[in-house]
This record gives sequence, C-alpha cells and structure tokens, in this order.
Amino acid sequence: MSTENLMLFAIIIPIVAAVITLVVVRKNSMAAGGVTIAASFVNLFLAYRIYGTETSVSVPWAGWFFEFTLRNYQFSSFILISVAIFGALLSVYNAIFLKEKANGWLFHAYFLLTIGFVNGVVFADNLILLLFFWEGLLGIMFGMIYLGGANAYRTSIKAAIIAGVTDLCMMFGIGTAIYLAKTATISDMKVSMEGLGGLAFVLLVIGAISKAGAMPFHTWIPDAASDAPMPFMSFFPGALEKLLGIYLLVRITLDIFELDGMSWGSTMLMIIGALTIVLAVAMALIQKDYKRLLSYHAISQVGYMILGIGTCTPVGIVGGLFHMINNTLYKCCLFLTGGSMERQAGTTDLKKIGGLKSQMPLTFIIFIIAAASISGVPPFNGFFSKEMVYDGALERGTIFYLAAVLGSVMTAASFLKLGHAAYVDKRGDVSKVKEAPAAMLVPGMILAALCLFFGLGNVFPLREFIQPVLGARLEGHDFSGFHFNIVLVGGTVVALALAVINHFVGVKKTGNGLGAVDHVHYAPGLHQVYDAAEKRYFDPYNWAKNVGRVVAYIGWGIDRGIDFFFSKIIPFAAMGISAVIRSLHNGSHVTYLAWSLAGLALVIIACMTGRL
Amino acid sequence: MTVEYLLFCLVAVPFFGSLFLPVLGKINERLRNIAALALMLCSLGMSCALLQVIASDQNVVFTMGGVTLFYADKLAIFMALVSQSLGSIIILYSFGYIKNYEHRNEYYFMVVLFLAAMMGLIFSSNLLWIYFFWEITAIVCWRLIGFFREKEYVLRADKAFFITVFGALMMLCGFLMIYSRTGTFDMQEIKAWCAINGSIPDLAVMFILFGILSKSATLPLHTWLADAGVAPSPVTALLHAAVLVKIGVYVFARLFVATFTINEIWHEVVPWIAAASAIVSACAALVENDIKRIVAYSTVSQLAFILLGLATGNNTGIVGGLLYILMHGIAKAGLFLCAGVVEHETHNKDIRKMGGLIKTMPITAVSFALCAFSVMGIPPFGGFFSKYMVITGTIDSGQIAVGLTFVAGAFLTLAYLLRAFARVFLGVSRAADDGHGLPREGSPVMVFSVALLAALSLLSGVLIQPSFQFAQSAVQQMLSR
Repeated sequence: MSTENLMLFAIIIPIVAAVITLVVVRKNSMAAGGVTIAASFVNLFLAYRIYGTETSVSVPWAGWFFEFTLRNYQFSSFILISVAIFGALLSVYNAIFLKEKANGWLFHAYFLLTIGFVNGVVFADNLILLLFFWEGLLGIMFGMIYLGGANAYRTSIKAAIIAGVTDLCMMFGIGTAIYLAKTATISDMKVSMEGLGGLAFVLLVIGAISKAGAMPFHTWIPDAASDAPMPFMSFFPGALEKLLGIYLLVRITLDIFELDGMSWGSTMLMIIGALTIVLAVAMALIQKDYKRLLSYHAISQVGYMILGIGTCTPVGIVGGLFHMINNTLYKCCLFLTGGSMERQAGTTDLKKIGGLKSQMPLTFIIFIIAAASISGVPPFNGFFSKEMVYDGALERGTIFYLAAVLGSVMTAASFLKLGHAAYVDKRGDVSKVKEAPAAMLVPGMILAALCLFFGLGNVFPLREFIQPVLGARLEGHDFSGFHFNIVLVGGTVVALALAVINHFVGVKKTGNGLGAVDHVHYAPGLHQVYDAAEKRYFDPYNWAKNVGRVVAYIGWGIDRGIDFFFSKIIPFAAMGISAVIRSLHNGSHVTYLAWSLAGLALVIIACMTGRL
Repeated sequence: MTVEYLLFCLVAVPFFGSLFLPVLGKINERLRNIAALALMLCSLGMSCALLQVIASDQNVVFTMGGVTLFYADKLAIFMALVSQSLGSIIILYSFGYIKNYEHRNEYYFMVVLFLAAMMGLIFSSNLLWIYFFWEITAIVCWRLIGFFREKEYVLRADKAFFITVFGALMMLCGFLMIYSRTGTFDMQEIKAWCAINGSIPDLAVMFILFGILSKSATLPLHTWLADAGVAPSPVTALLHAAVLVKIGVYVFARLFVATFTINEIWHEVVPWIAAASAIVSACAALVENDIKRIVAYSTVSQLAFILLGLATGNNTGIVGGLLYILMHGIAKAGLFLCAGVVEHETHNKDIRKMGGLIKTMPITAVSFALCAFSVMGIPPFGGFFSKYMVITGTIDSGQIAVGLTFVAGAFLTLAYLLRAFARVFLGVSRAADDGHGLPREGSPVMVFSVALLAALSLLSGVLIQPSFQFAQSAVQQMLSR
C-alpha cells in the first residue's frame, strides 16, 4: 500500500473506531477498551510503516485555500510515531483503569478521536487544514474533562474558553499569514516579521504555546489535575499537548517565519519560557497533592522547550525538541504512577497517605527513574536536554540561564519532597494497598526504560529524530554523545546539591518529607504571595473574566439605553405630541376658528411674499 | 411544465395554499398539520428541481403580461433552499410544541404564509415586489410575536412591527429615489444602469440600509428581536434563525452586492456598524438570564458576522457571508428549538433556576452543545468554515482593526454560549423544587427535530464541499458585471 493511503488511513481509522465505539459498542467500557487497544496498535503499525518516508498527497476538498494537503517528512513522522507509541501504551493502561467506570466507553471514544485529529494536525501541510484538526481537539478535550465527575464541568468550561480564545487568535493569525504569503501550503510559506507579519507571528505563537500549556494560558491544567479523569492528564497535558504545541512552534519559527536570533520574536519567546519555568515550578514546590504537583511541572517544563527554541541557536532548538520528547516520556510516566496511586490507594492527597514504598515497590522504582529524569540527574535523558537548553540560553543572556537553573533547583527539590512524602513517610493506613496490576505497570516500565535509554543512548534519538528536523540550520553540528561544558555541568551539580541541602534542612525542621519545603512556603513575604496565588488572585483567566464582566455590563447598558429610547422615549414623544394636538381639538368653535384664521393669514403672507 | 412555471409555483403554492389551512383545521387537525408540512416540502421539492437548472449557470425568469415578476439565480436558490429546509424542520417540530396552545389554525396559516412571502421576496425581480413581500412578513411577524395575546406580548409585537415597518418605509423612500434616478424598479435594468452611470446616490443607500438593519436586527435597530423571544418557541426559531432576520442580509447581498454599484465608503462604514452590533449584543447575551433572550442576542451578534462578510465586498468575505447564513441558520434553529424543549418541559426560561438537565434530557443537551459548537466556529462543525471565511475576508480587505474586533466578538460568543450551556444543562439541578419534579425529555417529534439539526450542523462541516463550492459559484455569478 502506498504511503499516501497509509497517511489517510492513519487519520481515518482512529476516527472510524471512535464512531464505532460511540454508536455500536456503547456503554460497555470493557469492549470499548478492546476497540481502543486494537485501533491504537493499528495506528502504531501505520506510523511505523510511514516512518522514514517523504511524500505528500492532496485530496480534493472545498476549493479556494481549503486544500486537503497532507505531507509526511522527517519531523511529522517523528511526532506521529511518538504519539502512536504513547497512544498504544496508554490505551492498555486506560483499558484497565477505566474498566469499571460507567463513562469509560466515552473516554475511549474521545481518546480515539484525539489520535485521529492529532494525526491530522501532524500531517497537515495546509494551514487551514491544520487549524481544522487543531481546533477540533477543543470539543474532544471539553468532553474528556467533563467525564471527571460532578464538578469537572467548571474546569472543562475554563479549558474550553482558554483554548477557544487562543484558537481564535490563531485563526486570525493564520488568515493574516495566508493573506501575506498568498499561499496556505506550509512548506511554501515565507512570511516576514515586519508589520502585519509580526501580528501573524504573535497570534500563531499564542495558539502554539497555549496548546503546549505555557504561561499565561496554563491555569486550567492544575484545575484539570483535580477534576479530570487521570488518564486525561497523562495523555493531554502530559504528552500530546506538548508534542503538538512544540511541533507547531517549531514549524512557525523554522518554516513559516524563519525566526532570527536578533529579532524581538526570539526575545519574546525566551522571556515567556523563562517566566513559565520559574513561576510554575515555584507553585509546584508547595503542592501537597500528587496530581496537582505534577500538573504544575507539566507547565514548568514547557518553559525549557520554549526557551530553547526561542534562543534560535542550533543547540537551543535541538535541546528544546529533545526536551519535548524527554518530557513526554517522564511526565507521562509520572502521571501513570499518580494514576496507579489513585486507583490503588484511593487518593492522591499526600496529607492523607504516604509510605507506599513497601506496598508498591515497582511503582516506586518507576517513579524514581522518572523523577531523576525530570530533575536533570545524569545520566537520564532530562540531564542532556537541559544541558543543551542551558547552553543556548547562556549564549543569549546570563539571566535566561540563571532562570533555567533556578527552575532546576526547585524541580529537584519538589520531586525529593514528593517521593519522600508519597513513598517513604509513614502516613495513613496503607496496609490494604496493593501494587498496581501488570497492565498498568508495563507502560510505566517501558517509559522509564526509555528515559534511561534516551539518556545513555542519546545518539539514537538525536541523530535519528531531532537533528534532521533542523536541516541546514544545524550548521553541521552534532550534539549527540557526551561532550560536556564544564561550566554548565558545574552549574547543574550545584543546582542539584542545593536541592538536596534544602531537602535535608526542610526534613530536619518538620520531621517528615511532606514538609520539606515548608520553610520556603511559609517564609516571611513568600507566604503571603503563595496564599494569594493559591486563592487564584494571579490567575489571568480570572482577571479576564472580571474584565469581561465589566465590559459585558457596559455593552448591556448601551443595549438597554437603545431599548429605552425605543420603548420609552419614542412612545413618550408620540404621546406628548398627540396630547398637544388633542388639546387643540377641544370642540370649541372659537379654537377652530382661531386656527382657520391663523392658517388663512399664513396663506396670505405666503402669497404676498411670492413664496408660493 | 416549464421551469418558469416551476418558479412561479414555488412561491404561489405555499402562498395560496396557506389560505386553506384554517379551513382544513376546522375539518381535521392532523390533516392541517400534514398539509402545512406538505406545502413546504412541495415548495422545497420545486426548489431542488430548479437547482438542477440553475446549477448549470442558467438563470430562470418568470414574466407575466410583459412584466418580469420572479427571477432565480444561484444566490436566490441558495437562500430559498436554506429557508425551506429549516422551515420544514420547524413545522415538524411545531407538531409537538403547539398542540397544547390555542389558535392553532392561525398559527399554521401564519407560518406557511410567512415562508411563502419569504420565497416571494427571495425571487422578486423588482424593488416593489421586494417591498410588498417584506411588509407581508412584517405583518405576519407582528401576529406571531403577539400570539399569546397577553398585553405585554402584544406591546412587544407592536414594537417589532413599528421598528421594522419604519425601516421598510425608509427603504421604500430609497427605492423611490433610485426610481427617480434610473426610471425603473427592475433590478436587472438597474444593474445595467449602474454599469453605465456608476454608483447610486449615497442617500438612497442609507435609506435602504435602514430597512436592512431594522429587519436584520442590527444595532441600533436590534432590540425588538430580544423582545420577540416571548413568542412561541418554534416561531422565534423561525423568526430569528431561518427567515426573518436573514431577509435583511439577503436583500443586502441582492442589492448592494449583486445589483447596485455603491460608493466605496460603505464597504468601510457597514463593517464598523456590524462590529459595534456584534460586541454590544454579545455583551448583552453575557448578562441576560432568560435563555431565549440569550439566544436572541446571540443571533444579533452572529448576524453582524454575516453582514460583515457581505459588506467586505471581496470574494472571500461574501462566500463566508453566504455560508454563514446556512451554518448559522441550522445551528441557531437548533439552539432555539432546544431552548424551546427546555422551556416546554421545565416551564421556566430563567437559566439561574435550571441546571443538571443533561441527566434527564441527554439528547437535547448534546444537541444544544453541538449546535453551540457550530455557532462558536469550532471544527469540524459547519460554523468553523463560515467564521474563518468571514474573518479572512476582512483581512483581505485590509480592515485589520475590524477583524480584531470581530475576533473579540467571537471570544464573547464562546463565553456566553458556554455559560448558557453550563447553567442549563450542567452542574446540580435547581429545578426540582418547583413542584413539577425533574423535567423529562421532550416529545419524540421535538427531540427528533433538535437532533436532526445538531446532526446537520456536524454534517454540514464534515461534508463542506458541496455547499462551499455552490456558494463560491454563486458569488462568482453575483460579482460578474
């Protein structure tokens, strides 16, 4: 079968499987899980077959710029196969996790729809087609979060509004970019950053980084961690959204705009990246719920990717992309351990339970590997990608480097705390907790093994997947292997050491792992800031909501004013005039005579002045 | 029968047929209902037959006694098909909805007459016919809005009537000015005149615009539409979504895009009027608590998008405007009918007193959500394509500021539709304590109608190709001089 057909099948098969789940299987979560596993593995097989080929195909669509143009090249097949691997692993995990849930079949259907749409995004070589699949994910995401329970709908609305607003920005950006480039085919597009092009750039970047979950479009993610079903977290914020968001960001900066290191666009991206790293991880530090803590890291890690890509240096971009795939591996893995804890222990609130080490030893080992990876401990994968991002950031400005290192200190500190609190501390009754079933452990083990492999064997992912994406922009460099910059490694060692010292100080003060960062949390000054942040005073969504409320009342007031004019002033004026005229028609002959005479006088005057 | 007579019958059959509905109703209610639907379907069938001819770039003209009465081109047939299909669904829905109310004979008579007048207006070949049918729709609307006969409702019906008739009279002044300049009411002749003599007077454009804005409920002549929400629900759906408000934008497309040459300045002024209308009405929709008023304000806001698309004057925007008429018609009719089901079952219109209805009314809730997604412009629903085209049309015409204002309008659309959806269908139920118990799903015919519209919203997006291409060829025909 030709690759063109395989590409079409990769979009159609998951969607058809989803429709079958929705229409035929219905209400049977077990069977839906079976369909999902089958379709996910078919998708994995297709992705494997497509991998490494380069081709494009155009299917007739609506005409005008709406062309159903798909293109497969190195970068898209890399993202495609990553999504397919995560999809296959998670489908197995979810089948077990959801088998007793009443709404599990719906989740499986949404999961399959998501895979189909994501494949569409990855293949789309037409910006409008890309937007079609991209924005189409919004409705699915809404449905997935909604399944989380009675209160999840608030979060699903919040997520839908944030995603909807940023998608609309992207729609305008795409319209502008097509207008400037006179083509909608991404591979032919070249737009300058001047004038309108700058607007298009900003709007497209908003769409991309919002999907990736960067600040200030992140605030639904921690809420989703509390409300949404666990498999959603590992799939959407944990894996897919990073892959998609960063994929698009790289397409924008490398293909559409050819971002230059000297441009304001590059600086803008680096500032967003640095702020996202520091602020999100600062929030992660103080969380006392397993899922919520992870969700803040899901935001913070995006900062490294955006910072790396924003540097516009080869090492930074390669680092950003490598960090994207590494983060997906360990973050997905971490969310899976959280899901196992939720299912086996019944809660993820660390204040209620702890010391699962002896009950769930395998989960603990998986956690350690993933936590070491995210903290940047050598020789795990996170270490290598972070070093590259540091390298790029240091080249562009020390402040960006320092922000990134500060982020690493706090990341390491928060995972020391999390591991200590969840697995070592003695808290709550854990005697009845059992290790997660094999089908839920195996995906985590595979991901953990990949974390180690992508670290020690970084030559493979870098040479095979990532460096070819840059093409000529790589300028002949090869970043794979182990070549260390002594300054950067020194910085990392110091950062990790600081985290460990901080942990010991905290544990000594409070006597348990959960309180390891309480001395930071309740430090004078910081305490008030943290309280305000936890009360969502800094949530841009809330700000926008309040501004929106004021604007809405102003608009409503204008509307009511206009209505007042029509319903009150006009009838009043009509009645008034009518009353005046009526009072003149009072039946008195004298009045009528006076009017007649006055009229006659007017006629005479008019005749005399010759006006008539 | 030749195609010319087909065109005549398309208007005449429902027009005269409607007169017999009250008589049939005296004999048998069911017979009358079926006859009403049959008249619409018959007219729809004739449109489909006519479509075969018109799709091959051949326009159909009906002349009687040497006077051109009706004229059918792609734009007209597009509009006719949209109105007739929606009209049929709405009549079907009425079977379930109206059966418990008084004056059913009058109801069916008015609704069919209304749709027939709409057909007449769409196919009119001269300005006076447009005015004639325009006023018929105004009278019918006045009757339908005041259908429940209560004092307050009648007052609101009067308000709608006064505003639209005021607009219509202004428009008539505009028509007369054009007549005094060109010496004809026939649109083809005026088009020929414009080709030689350039644009028509600005004052005439302004007068006609008054009529269009009043009928299409655009700022500042829009407030009657929200008040019209008191009418029985199928009527409001009909009024808002499918027919009445689209008359205005249709006439805009017919006169200012396809026929007259107008001064360039209008291509900049009208988008700004539309932008103001979009924002103000969306704000009002965000504040209101009456579900029908929310949906009505949302109509005002979405109409601004249509008007914007048509007013940009470029190919992209006009195609977007036409598609918007179709997509918004389907989705908004669905929203109104869902609101109707909710009101019918809960005996309540205040969204603050609802909640959690998704548990007992799942089909209505999902249909509402799907239609709302289409109005928001989320793919793969039809609304995505039309919204994209309208916004792009604005960019193509270089009016970036207007475009950004409309994007803000689209944000607000998201906000008020999600707010309404969440308040009505999600969360905990607040309706249980009113003594009626938990509301149930509506009657099968009603639920079928809303589900059909929701499915159409989805299908119109997934199978975008035919409607998109037809809209494109219609626009090419309109813009060819």
